[in-house]
Amino acid sequence: MTNDRVPPGSVAEKPERPDRVRRSMFVIGCIGIGAATAGFLAATVRFLVPNVLYEPSRRFGIGPPTVFPPGAVTFLPDRRLYVFNGADGFYSISSVCTHLGCNVKRGGPGFECPCHGSQFDENGQVVQGPATKALAWYALSLSPHAQLVVDLDQPVNPEFRLRA
Amino acid sequence: MSQTLWNRTLTWSGAVRRSVSRVGWPATDKDRAAAMISSLFLHIHPARVSRHVLKPAYTCALGLIAGVLFVVLSVTGLALMLYYVPYPPEAYRSMKDLQFVVTFGIVLRNMHRWSAHAMVMVVFLHMCRVFWTGSYKPPREFNWVVGVLLLLLTLGLSFTGYLLPWDQLAFWAITVGTNIAAYAPVVGDQVKFLLLGGHVIGPMTLLRFYVLHCVMLPLAMLLLISLHVWRVRKDGLSGAEVHAPAAEEVAGVFPPSTKTYGLMALSKRPRTSVEARDPNDDVFAWPQLLYRELLVALAVSVALHVVSLVFMAPLEEMADPTRTPNPAKAPWYFLGLQELVHYSALVGGVIVPTLLVLALLVVPYFDRGKAGAGQWFAPERRVANAVFTTLAVIFAGLTIIGTLFRGPNWAWVWPWK
Ligand code: HEM
Ligand code: FES
Repeated sequence: MTNDRVPPGSVAEKPERPDRVRRSMFVIGCIGIGAATAGFLAATVRFLVPNVLYEPSRRFGIGPPTVFPPGAVTFLPDRRLYVFNGADGFYSISSVCTHLGCNVKRGGPGFECPCHGSQFDENGQVVQGPATKALAWYALSLSPHAQLVVDLDQPVNPEFRLRA
Repeated sequence: MSQTLWNRTLTWSGAVRRSVSRVGWPATDKDRAAAMISSLFLHIHPARVSRHVLKPAYTCALGLIAGVLFVVLSVTGLALMLYYVPYPPEAYRSMKDLQFVVTFGIVLRNMHRWSAHAMVMVVFLHMCRVFWTGSYKPPREFNWVVGVLLLLLTLGLSFTGYLLPWDQLAFWAITVGTNIAAYAPVVGDQVKFLLLGGHVIGPMTLLRFYVLHCVMLPLAMLLLISLHVWRVRKDGLSGAEVHAPAAEEVAGVFPPSTKTYGLMALSKRPRTSVEARDPNDDVFAWPQLLYRELLVALAVSVALHVVSLVFMAPLEEMADPTRTPNPAKAPWYFLGLQELVHYSALVGGVIVPTLLVLALLVVPYFDRGKAGAGQWFAPERRVANAVFTTLAVIFAGLTIIGTLFRGPNWAWVWPWK
């Protein structure tokens, strides 16, 4: 440190030895502020994650099994879901294209997507890209009131069947 | 009696005027130069500029036009906010209101929409101009980086604005767009969830996009534009030094300066020495630069009005998550990416755009030689220009294909059929 007003050779001119206590307090302070900043950032990100979703429930009833005629496919547009009543039981396949989220339609080998031309077979397996993942299958169950219930948070394999 | 009253009124009104602006309407070059320096709004200009800078063929005024468009978008956007409700299905109804009920609402909406499209185009062309003239060379590397961030902000603003009308066009463009984000490795799904504020596009998504579009991104944009323009002011526009006469030529004509430039000693920015600049090459910014700028702003404004009175901004049916239009297209400036995404979502949606942005960000730090800076298509920069132009043409080509040549199921169509 130099200061014009301090005459040369005075105390201030001597090279100061670092004060251990001050230095460690400074380091502790820096760590504290750093940790607080990190915590603040984490809190901000957490703040952005909604705790309550004002969107349709991910688990919902779709009516009694009897409304789905045997051997037929029913499209539930509001749920973006195809429900099959096959020979060996019920199963449901999502109509959300795994490429970029358009609704696939029945057609071609099984399903076709209008957006970028992906094609899927009857089980939702990719026949032609650009999609690389098969269409999602969701678990079906029977509620105590004999309603079919779909759970979008419970994906299942294409072997899944619900006997009802 | 009446004479004194009149005089007093004059003195009083003069005092009021002086309290607003300390100098009167400047009558001389010197006064105008002083005004350029002392006014908050004018001091982003230098008092004198190189003649070279004024040539319209050098900058094509593209940066200026981008700035004017930002102002137009801010003003029309604020006006639209007075009628817009960011909640479905009211959002869609307020667009209908703006079209059919609010007096002049439709003109404002058209103007906001077309200015937004124009801004994407103009900012892109401005970037091309800066590249082709080698204007990102030292000392302007960092301003190029700021520019790349401005380009990203422009795209972000356009994209978030696209959802707000809540029509089919909006809904499916944002569906496709946010699903592209989900392809990002590791964090993709989480990013999409945060962006949407849920699993599906709904009221939460609209509110998030609204806040981003109307507050956060414009503020960020304002900040960065200020930084950008401030640095253009500090570094001077590129090209002036190239066209300045060589020091020896000037030396004989002008006596060596004896003045010590106090503040200039503090300024770290590299500049050609004051003595080496030919004062005859400089002109006063007021009127030479200022009036040209006003003329450009006027022309932009006229063009926008004409376009907005003739062409209607699109508004389709209300968003319907159960019905995908065929084909579903992203906003046109993302159709180049969507065309790539049609081959592979990961490559087209994540890898290529990330690499492109990274390449843009670092280019001034790798291409450092100063040769050829400040002139269009300098022969010294043949390689750099060739690479950039190739990429720009490929990108533009893909965008045109995606926009005009893709029909239902993304199959090839001829636009004139
Ligand atoms: C919101 C977007 C932008 C605005 C409002 C803006 C505004 C401006 C303005 C007013 C100028 C003065 C010269 C001129 O009019 O051309 C300028 C220069 C410049 N801009 Fe931008 N700009 C934007 C985006 C960009 C982008 C995307 C880049 C590059 C990636 C960029 C890089 C530069 C550079 C390096 C200069 C200095 C050029 C020179 O000195 O010749 N800017 N900008
Ligand atoms: S969204 Fe289905 S193919 Fe792209």
